[in-house]
Parts: sequence; C-alpha cells; structure tokens
Amino acid sequence: MPVFRYQNRQDVYYELYGEDGAPVVSIVNGLSMRTSHWAPYFKLLPQAGVRVLSYDLLGQGQSSKPILGVSFEDHARILKALHDHLGIERPYVMGISFGGVVVLKYGLLFPDAISGLIPVSTFSELDPQLTAHAYNLYVGLARVGFGFYLDLLMPLNFTNDFLAKSADSLQVVRRLGVTSNELYGIQNLMESLRDFKSMTAELPRIAVPTLILNGEYDALTPRHLHDIIRRGIANSRLAIIPRMAHAFTLEVPVLVARLLAEFVHSVEDGSWRGDQSVWIANEDPAAAQSMRPYPPGDHLRYVPVPAEQAPAAKPAGPAKRAAARRKAVSRPPAKSGDTPPTKAVKRKARTRTAG
Amino acid sequence: MLERSKAIKRHAREYFATNGIGADEQTRITLFLQGVKSVNAAILARVEFQPFEWLPYKFLHNQYFKEVELSTLIGKATSWSTNPFVYLDATNLNLTLWQKVGGAKFMSGTLQADATFYEYLALSHAFMSDIRFLPLLPPTMPLDTPFLIALHDIEEENGRQIQTQIRLLKEMRVDLDYQEKERIIEEQRVIVNELFDRLLAEVTGFDKAAARQATH
Repeated sequence: MPVFRYQNRQDVYYELYGEDGAPVVSIVNGLSMRTSHWAPYFKLLPQAGVRVLSYDLLGQGQSSKPILGVSFEDHARILKALHDHLGIERPYVMGISFGGVVVLKYGLLFPDAISGLIPVSTFSELDPQLTAHAYNLYVGLARVGFGFYLDLLMPLNFTNDFLAKSADSLQVVRRLGVTSNELYGIQNLMESLRDFKSMTAELPRIAVPTLILNGEYDALTPRHLHDIIRRGIANSRLAIIPRMAHAFTLEVPVLVARLLAEFVHSVEDGSWRGDQSVWIANEDPAAAQSMRPYPPGDHLRYVPVPAEQAPAAKPAGPAKRAAARRKAVSRPPAKSGDTPPTKAVKRKARTRTAG
Repeated sequence: MLERSKAIKRHAREYFATNGIGADEQTRITLFLQGVKSVNAAILARVEFQPFEWLPYKFLHNQYFKEVELSTLIGKATSWSTNPFVYLDATNLNLTLWQKVGGAKFMSGTLQADATFYEYLALSHAFMSDIRFLPLLPPTMPLDTPFLIALHDIEEENGRQIQTQIRLLKEMRVDLDYQEKERIIEEQRVIVNELFDRLLAEVTGFDKAAARQATH
C-alpha cells in the first residue's frame, strides 16, 4: 500500500498511474471521497498521455485521521510535500468541491511549483446559500448521523438520471459511504473551513493556466461561484458540463478525462489560451470538438438572455490589466479540437472583464 | 502491530461474510460492548456529582443515560449463546478491558479540566469511534435482525454522543500542549484498538486460521 509519511506523524495514502516523464494531474478529493472514486481516471488519463496522482486527504479514506483536526492550509502543504516526496515537479492540480478550494490555496501558496490548476465544482468564497448548505450538512452530520449527511448530499451531487439508474445500488453505496468513513474525520475537514476567509481578492495572483469546470445544474456550488473564479484569474477558462450536478466527475468520467487531458496537452504544447472565456463541453465525449464557445447572452442565467440585454459584468481590475497584457502578447494558434472562441465570445469576455 | 490489526480486520470481514453473526458471535460482541459501555457509564456516573453549571455537565449527563440505554438495548436484541466457554472468554476479555483502560484511575476525586479528564475523553472517543462492527459486514448484508438493527443504532448514536468528546478534546482549556494532547489520544486509541482486535481475533478464530495458513 503506497503511503507517504508526513512529518513523521501522519500517513497519506496515494496512488500514481501513468508513465514516467508524462505531465501529472494530481487530484484532490471532495468531502467523503476516497482515492477509489477516481478509478476510471487511472486508465483514461494514462491512455491520453497524462499521469494521474490521487491521494486521500487526512481524515478520509486510508490516510490518517487526526482527531484534533488539520488546518485548512495544511491540506495544500501536505500535497506539496507529497509531490516533493514523489519527485513530481510542476504538476497540474485538480480538485473537486472541498478539494477545489485546496487547489486554489495550492495555487496561491506555491505559484512557481505548478503548471496549471483545475478547480471543479468549487468556490473561492462562501455566499449565503453555500453557507446555509454547509451549515445543514454539518448539523446533519453531527446531530443526526453520517447516513443523513450522505442523504443530504445525494440529490445535490447527482442528476435525476443517475439517481434513477442507480436506485438499486444506492443503499449499498450509502452503506459503503457510512462504513468507509469516520464521522470525526469528515467533521474535522468541515471544521477546517470554520475560519475560512474569502480567497477571491487573492485570485488575481494566480497566473498559471486554469481550467474551471462547473456542472450546469450544480445547486451546491452554482455557476456564479465559478464565475467569480473565472473573473479573478486572468489566465482562465470556464467550461460548463451540460446537464450535470455537483459530482459530475463520477457521472461522466470519459468526458472529464478528455477535458483534463486536452487542457494539459494544450498547456504543454503552448496552445492554451487563458482568456476568461466561457465554454460548453460537448455531451458526446467522442465528438470531434470537446467544447464549444458559450453563445452570446448571460451565461449566469438559467433562462436564455439575448446578448444585448445581458447586464454589464462587474469590473475586475487586476484581470482587466492581465487581459490587456495578454492582448499585447501574440499566442500560438489553438490546437485542433480546441476551437478558438468566436468574435462574439471574445467580445463578451472583454466586456465582462472590462465591466 | 498495525499489520496484524489490518490482517485481523480483513479476516473478520471474510469470516462475517461467510458465516454471518450467529449466537456465539452475538454473545461475544454484546458482552464486549456492554463491558465498554459499563466502563464509560461508571466513569460518567461521577459527572452526577458535578454542579449543573459545569459546561459539559448536560452533555455528559445525557451520555451517561444513553450508554445505559444502549447497553440494555443490545442485550435485549441478542440471541444468547448456550456455550459456557463463550461466556468464559468474554469474562476474561472484560477483565482485561478494565485493567488496560485503567478504569479505576478515573473514578477518584472530582472531575476537573486536567490531564486525567483529558485521558478519559480520549478513551471514550476511542470507544465510540474505533469500535465499529458495521464496516466489517458486507455492505449488501441486510440489517434486518434485532441484533443488527441494535448494532446499527448503537454505532449511529455513537456518532452523536461523540460530539461532546470532540468539542472538549479540541477546545477544553487544559494545561497540556498540542503534542501532549496528541500523545494521550494516540495512547488511548492503541489500547482500545488492541482490545477490539483481541475480540475480533477470538470471535473469528484468527490465530487458528493464521496458523493453518502458515503450515500450508
């Protein structure tokens, strides 16, 4: 069992797949996830020429579960130590939900030690709705039980189709969730966000290529939270995964693995363009193009809004300056399979960043 | 030691998946759980001498009665064994339980925020978090017998009761530094895990199975 001993006190369980020398995507789990949740990616990413590292956060899976808890910053530091231990330089760091917040912190703490970031179904600040969700989940966990906490998460994490298709196995999945986790470990992870301070103001310091992924129907961390990250990071793109809920990485691994691999390869070959544009992933993972530009209109709305009626976006000072810098630098053309944004989208992106 | 503990739990999973939980196994599990809960309840009984205004009083008072309730619940739900040796083994383990956890040292003097009370909190945290049988059962095994339902209820209730231990271990003002707290917590977890492993090894015949495997 591959285990990294952190500071001679805690065991961090990890799995690493793919060929030496290939770029590495490191995956940071969300709450109550474990390494095995990424099993499809252990085949899909190496097949696409990308190594993949997955590990269990302290408090879950097969890693140590310190009873007194872990500070939020420590999660990023532990991942950095794991990278150093494995000799992984400049990885792409991806994380979902709670793991996405760790990803942003990693980008801020170790800006020179990463090639790119992939925050997924996540947030840089807690708005009132997310704060209320977090409170409900915490109280459900502590006062009712771990099973109820999973019950609360189930309809937030998955789509109707997935829940209907999996109806027979959901009770087993729930049982596994209850028995394979330690309540206090998950509670400690949640409590590590108790003193969480918004990272939004710091986002402009992140300069590396950043692909933000958001499920179209993610009710736990909805679009506007991802848009805050998009607006804050100049070198970013936001991709919306159609018809998906919060935990879409479990529902459509083939599509997500393709998006990850294309992102990594575009950065590696210099064709990545972080222009704060918004994209829609193709639901067919085998389609020629994996994404298409978001059509003109307000991408934050559920109902279509014509472009001319879309409200002007809020000013984003640092991002605006970064956009101007990027404009001055000529970039290589996008690789095939990565359609450049239309003029309308470019215009829209400029409008949103320029306010 | 850690490897042996993992091997015991692996063996227990296989054993319960193959054999289920019959009267002998139920009896051993129940007597062990009742032993654990009687240690905790005996210590918690002292809380009744604390002033009502003492902040943890209300929570520990609740836990005291809950432990007694759960202990009788599992007793009522158990299919008791007719094999006298099962009771002999269970008594031996429960004697060791009282010795290893040092139950007597928590029962003198008044409760106060000191290292001894912190040790008790760590011990009871380990009781409620590390002694779990449901993870050793196949996730497809229906929890539809009185015994399994009671076991499920106990483990779910432990998640609620442990909140008192979690809060006090993390936030109680006590003259211990972080490293000392970690050391105390780890010591108590090791003790409880060894007792739990011994129970599982005895119930599932781990040592005999391991010896058989070694000779083949």
